[in-house]
Amino acid sequence: MDAFTQIFGFAFQYLDSAAYLILAALGLSIIFGMMGVINMAHGELMMIGAYITAFCMYGGIPAPIAILLAGVGAGIAGMILERLIIRHFYKQLLSSLVVTWGLSMIISQVFLIMFGPNMPSLPTPFSDIKILVGGEVGFALVGAEGFARVTGETGRMPPGVESFGIYRLVMFAVAVLMVVAVWLLLRKTEFGARARATMDNPTMANALGISTPRIYAYTFGLGSALAGIAGGLFALTSAITPYFGAAYTARAFITVVVGGAAGVINGLVASVAALGGVQTILSNLFSVYIGFVGMIAAAFLILLVMPTGISGYMEKLRGRSR
Amino acid sequence: MTGRADETTPVNSHAKIPFGFLRLVEGPQTMGRGWPFWTGFAIVILLAFLAPTYFGIRPYRVNEFIVSGFLAASLSILWGYAGILSLGQAAFFGVGGYVFGIIGINLFDATGNTHLALAGGILAPTVFAAFVGAIMFFARLKGVYIAILMLVLSLLLETFMLQTADPEVYRIGEALLGGANGLRPASDIPSVAFGWGEAVAEINGRREGFYYFALTLLIVVYLGLRMLLNSSFGYLLVAVREDPDRTETFGYDVRLIQLAVFCLSAALAGLAGSLDTARINRVDPELVFSVSANIMVVIWVAVGGRKDLTTAILGAITLEWLYLWLTTSGSPEYATLVMGGILVAAMLIAPEGVFVWIGNRLGRLFGRSRTPAAKAAEARQ
Repeated sequence: MDAFTQIFGFAFQYLDSAAYLILAALGLSIIFGMMGVINMAHGELMMIGAYITAFCMYGGIPAPIAILLAGVGAGIAGMILERLIIRHFYKQLLSSLVVTWGLSMIISQVFLIMFGPNMPSLPTPFSDIKILVGGEVGFALVGAEGFARVTGETGRMPPGVESFGIYRLVMFAVAVLMVVAVWLLLRKTEFGARARATMDNPTMANALGISTPRIYAYTFGLGSALAGIAGGLFALTSAITPYFGAAYTARAFITVVVGGAAGVINGLVASVAALGGVQTILSNLFSVYIGFVGMIAAAFLILLVMPTGISGYMEKLRGRSR
Repeated sequence: MTGRADETTPVNSHAKIPFGFLRLVEGPQTMGRGWPFWTGFAIVILLAFLAPTYFGIRPYRVNEFIVSGFLAASLSILWGYAGILSLGQAAFFGVGGYVFGIIGINLFDATGNTHLALAGGILAPTVFAAFVGAIMFFARLKGVYIAILMLVLSLLLETFMLQTADPEVYRIGEALLGGANGLRPASDIPSVAFGWGEAVAEINGRREGFYYFALTLLIVVYLGLRMLLNSSFGYLLVAVREDPDRTETFGYDVRLIQLAVFCLSAALAGLAGSLDTARINRVDPELVFSVSANIMVVIWVAVGGRKDLTTAILGAITLEWLYLWLTTSGSPEYATLVMGGILVAAMLIAPEGVFVWIGNRLGRLFGRSRTPAAKAAEARQ
């Protein structure tokens, strides 16, 4: 394997794990940043998104529309949960943690009872298109025909050539688009202004005529919808089970906490850049398990230095220099 | 009311009753005081001791509930009294269980008892908690972060233990960690055994002996904790829960108090874990480190009533009983669903806990009978 192949493989993995973290954490980070509530049922909202995507695609609906519908469905589910239960716990953080954990247990059990322990898996889109790097190929983007030509009659890759699926890159692109869209929504729209006002000073916002309960419900719905979309995207690459979401909640939480609540978007991006890097390097050097442990250790260290997360730390620095 | 009047009018207090030692185990930090409570307590204990003989309860089932009582007590003092929620309390339970098993497998044949295994099963999680707690509390991490980091820690332990199937690498003396199958050889994991040489009492975890042993131990631990919670240390815990900053201005080091209760809680959870491993001669990662193992502890304590030791233990025993009944009469899926439903419903309707609510009702019921006497006492002043 030559140096270029290695660097490309490394960059590919970095983007892959960054996409994974952004998608898993974006919805949670909005809910945490705006209301300070850690939603332990976040993974289950992703799971709902995955199931909606699966059912739509079994019915012949194309993947992009199915994933959007998953976002809508999970958003509605999130708003219902917020109105019925979670709004009673805004002032008690530890209790909100426990109650949302209970909700996650209920949701996954209901799905287990209704749909059984697993669902038929979905085809990964663009699975024909591959990037080939290294060896005699150099660098090429090939379809099914081109791939067959490269592998030849043996059906095996020529020595030194590595192949990468393109869907991971699509996921990264979608993740970046989602971050930009959320940023625009929070910065450039009236809803965003109202939401930021509510986050900054709920009493004052309320006095100015903003209905803060409604803002909370919409924000929770938005976070849930983002979780649903992420769940839909993940559903195309992994097995769909009722416990699908549990694997994501812990990572999403760590990413969000390291990012901090002071700046939802920039904190998240910085946190993903750091943690994704640690995970990629350690997974490559040792094992996936060590990669995960290293990510948590890194999160721990960052929190020791910056207890309010990266964005809180940056804000403090800015305040000092002023 | 002046201090002198207090001494001469013992009607409100219970100094009149001839059980002065009760004052050690009761106080404002624990529910239940005076003759009505202790009479009820004595009756419940008596019935519990008679239960295997006269009411036909089956020890191999019920023994599990008693072990849960220790675990519930460990989370109650941590979360209810000191205000530190841990969503990964089963991690300490699991560490205790594994260490008990590992030491037991290696030393049981030589010593014939499990003294060292039990000591290790309590000490190992305590040391572990001291290490983790020192980092978390001295970094002054927020409560929410601590809660979830503990869960993450437990899941990390689970993931690690799941990949220890290789007998060449993951072997400690005679004991094999055994991956998903749990500690092996399972037949060598000892039951609890006390004594030396010929005079060894081995207590089979599936029989009445374990039931009486664990119940007695639970009562001792319960009374001991009540004494501790009503001592000045207990007041400090509640002070830290209610207002850490103010406690700090009074000159206490909040971090040390938090660390102390964290270690105590881990020791109790380790005791529970050791007893559980000894009870079924088995310990595996899913049983002790998984999400469902951790969430059950939180459900017992939250539903029973986290801010009181008695209610937390009662919560564990009743909910375990209910869970077993639902599992055997229905299915595990529905049992888990019902548990989640009970948690959410209890958090909405009785946020302080179901048994706390019942206890307050009972307290008012029995309190009323004292009211005329109390009024007379006031009139005398």
